[in-house]
Amino acid sequence: MNLDSATRRRFLQASGLGVGSVALSGWMGVLADRVQAASPTAKKPKSCVLIWSEGGASHKDTLDLKPDSKGAGDFKPIKTSASGIEISEHLPKLATHMHEGVLVRSMTTPEGAHARARYHLHTGYREGQGGLTYPSLGAITASELGNAKAAMPNFVSIGGRSYGAGFLGPKYQPLLVQDATKGVEDLKTLVSDKQFANRTGLLEEMEKAFFHDYEAGATIDHKTTYERAVKLMQSKEAKAFDIGAEPAAGKSKYGSGKFADGMLMARRLIEVGVPFVEVTLGGWDTHQDNFEKVKNLSTQIDNSVSALLADLKDRGLLDTTLVIWMGEFGRTPNINNKGAKPGRDHYPKAWSLAMFGGGLKGGQVVGKTDKEGATVAERPVKTGDFLATVCEVLGIDHTKDNEAVSGRPIKIVDKGNAPFTKLIV
Amino acid sequence: MKFLRVFALTAFSTLAVVGMGEFGTPLTAADTKADKKAERIKAKEEAKKKADDAAKKAEDAKKAGEAKAAEAAKIAADKKAAAPTKPAVSRDASAVAKLIDTQIDARLKKENIAPSPYGSDADFLRRVYLDITGVIPSYEKAKAFLDDQSTNKRERLVDELLADSNYGRKQADIWGTKLFTVDSANRFVQKEPLSAWLKEQFNKNTPWNAFVSSIVTATGPVDENPAVTYFLSNRSVDKLTDTTGQHFLGIRVSCAQCHNHPFTATKQNEYWGLAAFYSKVVPEKPANANKGGDNTKLGVTEGKTKSKTKDFFPESTKTVPAKFFGGEEPKLNANDPYRPALAKWLTSAANPYFAKAMVNRTWAQLFGNGIVDPIDDMIEKNKPSHPELLDELTRQFTASGFDVKHLIKGIVLSQAYQRTSKPSTGNKSDEELFSHMAVKMMTAEELFDSLTMITGTGAGGNETKKTGVKGVTSGPRANFVNFYVAGAEEFKSTEYEAGIPQALRLMNSKIAGNPAALKQFGTGKPADILEKMYITALSRRPTDAEVQKLTAHLGKAGSTTEAYGDILWALLNSSEFSMVR
Repeated sequence: MNLDSATRRRFLQASGLGVGSVALSGWMGVLADRVQAASPTAKKPKSCVLIWSEGGASHKDTLDLKPDSKGAGDFKPIKTSASGIEISEHLPKLATHMHEGVLVRSMTTPEGAHARARYHLHTGYREGQGGLTYPSLGAITASELGNAKAAMPNFVSIGGRSYGAGFLGPKYQPLLVQDATKGVEDLKTLVSDKQFANRTGLLEEMEKAFFHDYEAGATIDHKTTYERAVKLMQSKEAKAFDIGAEPAAGKSKYGSGKFADGMLMARRLIEVGVPFVEVTLGGWDTHQDNFEKVKNLSTQIDNSVSALLADLKDRGLLDTTLVIWMGEFGRTPNINNKGAKPGRDHYPKAWSLAMFGGGLKGGQVVGKTDKEGATVAERPVKTGDFLATVCEVLGIDHTKDNEAVSGRPIKIVDKGNAPFTKLIV
Repeated sequence: MKFLRVFALTAFSTLAVVGMGEFGTPLTAADTKADKKAERIKAKEEAKKKADDAAKKAEDAKKAGEAKAAEAAKIAADKKAAAPTKPAVSRDASAVAKLIDTQIDARLKKENIAPSPYGSDADFLRRVYLDITGVIPSYEKAKAFLDDQSTNKRERLVDELLADSNYGRKQADIWGTKLFTVDSANRFVQKEPLSAWLKEQFNKNTPWNAFVSSIVTATGPVDENPAVTYFLSNRSVDKLTDTTGQHFLGIRVSCAQCHNHPFTATKQNEYWGLAAFYSKVVPEKPANANKGGDNTKLGVTEGKTKSKTKDFFPESTKTVPAKFFGGEEPKLNANDPYRPALAKWLTSAANPYFAKAMVNRTWAQLFGNGIVDPIDDMIEKNKPSHPELLDELTRQFTASGFDVKHLIKGIVLSQAYQRTSKPSTGNKSDEELFSHMAVKMMTAEELFDSLTMITGTGAGGNETKKTGVKGVTSGPRANFVNFYVAGAEEFKSTEYEAGIPQALRLMNSKIAGNPAALKQFGTGKPADILEKMYITALSRRPTDAEVQKLTAHLGKAGSTTEAYGDILWALLNSSEFSMVR
């Protein structure tokens, strides 16, 4: 009981890995022909794709149109596959998936500057609060649902830097993919496969004496990490990072460009069991030229998200994959007067996000704004309420305490939140 | 076993019990207006004197150890004027080492745990190089040390390394991270001036009290006083308070920011009382460097009223009078700067936490674990493994004039530090009695500097180059460190915290696999080449068994060059390389 946390962690790790007896078999040699297959009988844990609208999407021009309001803007609402729910005319394909999704139109959050808001929406905490760095939803999912033994990383972030593991530690940091067409850095050897096998063989041989003499816990972790890295290099799952391997027909419906490539990679990653993938689409900070920009961005979202949802459904993965589309805040209900092509400014007070799949009871709207889209009129949803809901949908106990530095217990989602899971599953 | 991972909040009740005795009284003595004025002048003079002393001391240090000792003793005497008389303190580091061994050995004997034997020269060499200068020795240095037959070579090496400018760089790496955590509000603030200043301060061995005092009281533009970076980077009163507690007092005060501990009512006020000393700080706003903003001359001032800096006070802020943590409420004149009073209290020899926190922190840097561990949770419930030793080392450190190099030298000369990290019979499970040395992980900086010293990749390793953005440095070293640390808050040196991307980087990039690096090992007999490789990478000679196995590999690979490339790759990717054994 009274083990210090490092010892405790290592004990769990060692027993989980079957290396408690310090019997390390020739792992590097056998990896080449080992294929890591997912067990077909085990119940599949849920996964999550977070699509991040960096800059903050205008809710009144995407998911919560107010055609009769003062700052209504240029766009018309259209009907969707869910009766009574209308969204922007520039999201026609996504509209056909509305029966699989839930809109939250009553987000109301406290941060109006990009970086602080992004941090808050990713972690549920305020930047600097209590002197800690908090883990993001991706890191939480990786630590709660990820497989510590898997070759594949448990958290991948594509096209943006996302937010990391904070006090959970580097093991839950996202693997960053800057450019989906290039895949993962350092995944290929500098030498031939044969020479690489020689090298890992040598390394294994060399490690034996040191491992035997020093018996330090850190050497187990070092070895485990190298083992996983080599496994990743040689695994067929790693091919998920190679979007060039995708048949052209399957690729085109995602649209073209960096974001479309990232979304395609996300699907490939979910298919091989990565529990959390974040894909960023920048450009939503539309202080100027709002309508042209939002139209263009909406089309990208429309193509890629609808393609992702269709692919997940085809593969039987939609019920176990929660797809979230959100950003750091909404945009002002009124149109500003910045130049000839005006825009909308930051607006955290009332805004919208969308969720699909993941076992949700689709075709629903949570909350509502007033007729201007300016204030929340019904069922306000704070960041903590939302993240707690996401946790519940994914099967994560959000009331669980994680251990921050000095053994300080920190809840996955802070106290005082009210998940609305019952409304949507 | 350390089993008390106690929520740091309990510190507050502890403080109430322990109390600070007469601690804090010097300031409250200034009751009349005249006294207050005199006190202010005195505080200013003292601050100036501290700075002067530091400068003078640095100069003296170059000349003679004795003159330095006298100066330090004088400072110590000044500081400790009110403290009770204690036995004389030795300026001889080996006396400190002896003190350590007496206490550690007595405890091991009492617990019936056999210590591991004294480590080899090779172990000591690599350990002390990394622990003091943050980089492995070059082949030439390592070979010379291994071949040196003189009996006092370990102490000579320690002196040499403490005088090496890499000592300051290593400390600057450690403290730079603690004093400057990048967040959304400070990302355009320059880190370089602070790093350079830290390096300089540590290299000239500025007494720890003067060092902390100059940070806490810093004002002026950053190009004149780089210490103000502390305020430019910690742009809110809670961050300043947290850092002060955690790094300078060894106590995590941050939980009290938002809530009280359930058992006492005053704790949140303790936090905000400490925070109030920083309430008048005005850090200038950094310009957006992406848009060409120039942040090379940003300044920090102390206003006459509460700071109006944006987001300087978090929502949880409680406005209470300035109060020393667990101590008195000093009489402060609203028009005067508050920070000198804080600095005086904080760095006083009478402060029961200040010197002790630094001693424990330094110990942990060298041993992997603190005498109190975690090192920033020095509360009553988190008991030290060796309380008398910690007290005595603290007394020695204070009396030496807060001489950090002296403390380090004393510790590394101890037998406890020089034991092998191989556990021996019966002491394997010991993690806190120092029966054997802990195996520590290299930091990201140490790994980069050591790897690039061998492989030559990374443009010299130490270099930082300017990015297009004015004042923001980048370059291979900073990039590698950022990549490796990946935004993580803190590392415990005895734990391997790297992940798959880091392992991939080491295996599959040129940093550990540069074919050009093979040139340095020359041509000749395999045994000679292998010896050179081992000394270069691991600071030791290979064993006969290793030579045999590797010689066999030479025949198996496609070519000799390929084979040596494989061996170097394996050496640099081995756990032995990235760990401080």
